Amino acid sequence: MTRDTPDDTGATDGTGRERGDGSEPRASPGVPEAGRDEQPSIFVPDDGERAGGSEADESEADERPATDGGVESATGGSDSAELDPDAYDPVDVFPGGDLDLREGADSCYKCTSCDTSCPVAEVDDEFPGPKFQGPEQWRLKRKDDHDIDESITSCSNCMRCDDACPSSVPLSQMHNEARGQFVEEQMEKLSVEYVRNRILANYRTSARLASVFPRTASFAMNFGPVRWAMEKTLGIPKERDFPEFATETFREWWKARGGAQVEDPDKRVAYFHGCYSNYNTPEVGKAMVRVYEHFGYEVMVPPQKCSGTPMFANGMLKDARRHAETNVESLIEAIGEGADVIASCTSCSMSLRQEYPELFDIHGIEDVSEHTYEALEYLRIHEDLEGELAGSELADDRSYAYHAPCHARNQGLARQAVETFRDVDGVNMEDVGDSCSGISGTYGWKEEKYEKSMKIGEEMFEHMEDAEGDVGMTECPTCAMQMEHGTGYEIKHPLQLLEETVGA
Amino acid sequence: MDHQVDVVVVGGGSTGCGVVRDLARRGLDAVLVEKGNLTHGTTGRMHGLLHSGGRYAVSDQKSARECIEENRVLRDIASHCVEETGGMFVKRPEDSEEYFQEKLEGCRACDIPVEVLDGEEARRREPYLARDVEKAIALPDGAVDPFRLCVSNAADAREHGARVETHAPVTDVLVEDGEVVGVEIEHETGPGKRVHREPGTTEEIRARHVVNATGAWAGNVGEMAGVDVEVRPSKGVMTVMNTRQVDTVINRCRPKGDADIVVPHETACILGTTDEEVDDPEDYPEEEWEVDLMIETLSELVPALKDARTLRSFWGVRPLYEPPGTGTEDPTDITRDYFLLDHGDRDDLPGMTTIVGGKLTTYRMMAESISDHVCEVLGHEATCDTAEAPLPGSESDARMEELMDEFGLRSPVARRSGQRLGSRADEVLDEYDPNPIVCECEGVTRAEVQDAIGEAGSDLNAVRLRTRASMGNCQGGFCTHRIASELAREYPEPVVRDAEDELYQERWKGQRHALWGRQLSQAMLNHLLHATTMNRDGDPANLDGEVDFGAFDAGAGSGPASADADEGGDAGTAATDGGRAGDDATTDGGRAGDNATTDGGR
Ligand SMILES: Cc1cc2nc3c(=O)[nH]c(=O)nc-3n(C[C@H](O)[C@H](O)[C@H](O)COP(=O)(O)OP(=O)(O)OC[C@H]3O[C@@H](n4cnc5c(N)ncnc54)[C@H](O)[C@@H]3O)c2cc1C
Ligand code: SF4
Ligand code: SF4
Repeated sequence: MTRDTPDDTGATDGTGRERGDGSEPRASPGVPEAGRDEQPSIFVPDDGERAGGSEADESEADERPATDGGVESATGGSDSAELDPDAYDPVDVFPGGDLDLREGADSCYKCTSCDTSCPVAEVDDEFPGPKFQGPEQWRLKRKDDHDIDESITSCSNCMRCDDACPSSVPLSQMHNEARGQFVEEQMEKLSVEYVRNRILANYRTSARLASVFPRTASFAMNFGPVRWAMEKTLGIPKERDFPEFATETFREWWKARGGAQVEDPDKRVAYFHGCYSNYNTPEVGKAMVRVYEHFGYEVMVPPQKCSGTPMFANGMLKDARRHAETNVESLIEAIGEGADVIASCTSCSMSLRQEYPELFDIHGIEDVSEHTYEALEYLRIHEDLEGELAGSELADDRSYAYHAPCHARNQGLARQAVETFRDVDGVNMEDVGDSCSGISGTYGWKEEKYEKSMKIGEEMFEHMEDAEGDVGMTECPTCAMQMEHGTGYEIKHPLQLLEETVGA
Repeated sequence: MDHQVDVVVVGGGSTGCGVVRDLARRGLDAVLVEKGNLTHGTTGRMHGLLHSGGRYAVSDQKSARECIEENRVLRDIASHCVEETGGMFVKRPEDSEEYFQEKLEGCRACDIPVEVLDGEEARRREPYLARDVEKAIALPDGAVDPFRLCVSNAADAREHGARVETHAPVTDVLVEDGEVVGVEIEHETGPGKRVHREPGTTEEIRARHVVNATGAWAGNVGEMAGVDVEVRPSKGVMTVMNTRQVDTVINRCRPKGDADIVVPHETACILGTTDEEVDDPEDYPEEEWEVDLMIETLSELVPALKDARTLRSFWGVRPLYEPPGTGTEDPTDITRDYFLLDHGDRDDLPGMTTIVGGKLTTYRMMAESISDHVCEVLGHEATCDTAEAPLPGSESDARMEELMDEFGLRSPVARRSGQRLGSRADEVLDEYDPNPIVCECEGVTRAEVQDAIGEAGSDLNAVRLRTRASMGNCQGGFCTHRIASELAREYPEPVVRDAEDELYQERWKGQRHALWGRQLSQAMLNHLLHATTMNRDGDPANLDGEVDFGAFDAGAGSGPASADADEGGDAGTAATDGGRAGDDATTDGGRAGDNATTDGGR
């Protein structure tokens, strides 16, 4: 049985036998076919139960590595053939191939830690909080229930609840799926809200257009009368400044410089720059390349689309899936060539690592997940960064007010910037606390959420003001916008500082 | 006692509730007496399957025909108690093909609509079915909520002039001149609604006829009248899972056996069951192997059950009866049919009829036949309309949109609440503010709790049965106190505390059989919350004596006391006092725990 995802037009049998019988062309290594490799989403009976149905299962197990196009062997394998026999994936109990996550409610013992750490619940009395949105709502659901409570659209997808839960309830997965179902089935497709959310979610599309005439776009989008009209017609708050578009995108720069300047088949990384470093802050992407080349890595820049973060947050799962197919296809190819995937945006790495395998069945998606790292994290694992930085010194002293993005926190990266630069002379990095910046990607870009977003951010703004430095630092581009918006500070990415420190 | 009613019905299970409704609708003056809550007996401890008849289609076609007939009736008159889940008989490779065919033929012969599915189609409909399920027969099994069903029957009876007394055990059957003339009952807390700490009273109710509908206890009541009723109680275990792994009823297609059915019930799934004869319906062992057997055997059908969270287990006893001299050895071979024993004909003791056996699914039909009999004995002419008249709550469906917009309910809450209340939704939600939600796991509104308190007094278990509050995954850990505090507007504090304790203990009882994995974590968290933040392991306010709160806190500004504190004066007292309270409480807690064990275990 194959999960009935919208793009799945292929095998119906799901045991994989159809694919294994050789009637379909074999794939070349590392290049899966979209639509073919969705993993069978349900149980393989465990050993005690093999007696009856064993033949089919065994032959399937035999065939699988071949149909998998060898990706498994390239990566140690995590995909279908190696499904833990006792593992159950959520399946298409609900209409339209939606996931059944009721089982996730089994882990919840209602301790309410998630609710107390939700920044939205704190400022929005109408929002019932993650416990209700997640385990409670799912547990109350039945097969013939189609409706999702509208409040799900107020969750900003900051994923702090995931981090707070002591019992591994898949909260953000539950929220993402519920939001997807809500938007797909219950949201008026011609409503201003839908159109606005779709535009925000598909930031890449707008950014690509804007970057054709970057100066005009930067000006026009922030031009008073235009902004007034945007708020009125689209519900995008006029208080916010649209980010400037770079005159040369990262990819243009990459091409102009002739691609990688270091070659080393044993030390390869594939850079997932995401939309923002490409269109708005190519200096971050450039810093990444220079730093990695400094450490002797061969950097690859595979074709890529949006990581999906803004789409998840707006319930646009179909859009996200389309982009994911491209991303997975090209990243898995790079992985096949020995690379690990590096993102400079913590939400992009979060998405590839966690949300991708949770939400989509695309062949190789588990491998992408396992091979993805955040840029600083990867260097800290593989290079002696501390040793390298210990003796370094910057010409002039400077202080940064560092904010750890929620999504960095979820990956266990909340302290990495502070720790990395601790021993660098002349750098004073002050952590401004563990509150949420409040923008959460597109959340703060909605007129009706603007005030709440600023209220959530208040604590961070205050701590930034109190901090010694007047330059902000964070890994997340939207947090950066919020930091800048709330304090007027210039905001840097840790890679930029690292570039300077190592003199790359 | 001059006043004489027409009929006293003893036993508030599905049978008794059905009978009293039927009699009341026929214009007779009837009283229902029940020793515990409604559904206190077997009805409250059954599986919740609305039989299509499929389970009896091979072994007992008469029962199968009755089931499908009543199945259709209940969908109609009790729509808010029934979930039309549909069901399947699934065949694993090791199950006999011959029996599969027999089952199919049997269903057809009994007019049970069936459809044969191949394994793939069965898994499309129920994706968690094991991969090696070969094929299945789909048929119209359903899920029924026995509590709601009984409560609505009783409510309808009351609307038609009947009196309903719960917590009123019959302690004697009055026999005069070789004829039953009534019963003696003991009101545990006085007549009417149950309120903790109210003094008990006894009452004689004289009646022209007594109906003994006490199921597995029918022998005891028979004994009080001096007649022999040989009920052979047989126990069965049911294990409640935290979520619904399946949304249709899954039966194993094989002749008979333990652990062969999974019924989706409200938010949960219930696994069942065993069939073992016991001596005493109130005193039988609840054994661990029975629970293990459920999970192990049924995970052959639904492998996900193995790792799924179990909330609790409970046992019920079937009131099986067979006419004297039948001599069946194996309880599974005893007929599931019901018997009407007219003690006038049978034992020369007119004035009483006993009804035993049967199933919840056919309760209405049983009630109709005994009501016909009673009317005949009493010479009362009236026709039965219970097959057409909807139960209160089932007149129409609740309207979701309205519940959401008008009463400000979140959609899943509106959905569940709307289903529980059916056509009463507007009325109930209008009476009290439905928010905040009192029980989050089951989405129970404040209005529902208040409504149930209105009917059930301070008896929070009765409130639970009416609303499902405290029946979700926290098993009362996060809501017993909230539910109890809803009592506070009407009842004094000691009553509220007693009621709270009773509910909390009841919830604990069933969880004792699920103390591993995630429910163990839940139980520990519940315990810690209650012990540390609510003093449940030693609350001085729970001791009956006066509490000298001053000894704990001399309070600001009480000059000398705070000065003394340094010298160990008042502070010392507080410590001693606290220590004593702690000691007492331990004893108390220990005792309460023992009670619970005895209660559940026996
Ligand atoms: C494990 C199990 C699973 C079952 N599953 C199903 C199923 O899925 N579907 C189905 O249709 N049927 C099922 N049944 C059968 C069904 O539950 C019973 O047939 C039905 O509930 C019997 O109802 P009753 O009213 O006759 O008996 P009870 O519900 O036992 O009612 C008798 C009542 O009499 C009261 N009483 C006893 N003594 C006194 C006294 N002295 N004074 C006052 N009151 C007294 C008791 O407290 C009790 O409430 C199941 C039974 C068991 C045991
Ligand atoms: S993702 Fe963030 S906003 Fe959404 S429920 Fe979780 S903590 Fe709250
Ligand atoms: S933190 Fe986890 S376990 Fe606690 S209430 Fe939230 S989801 Fe449940």
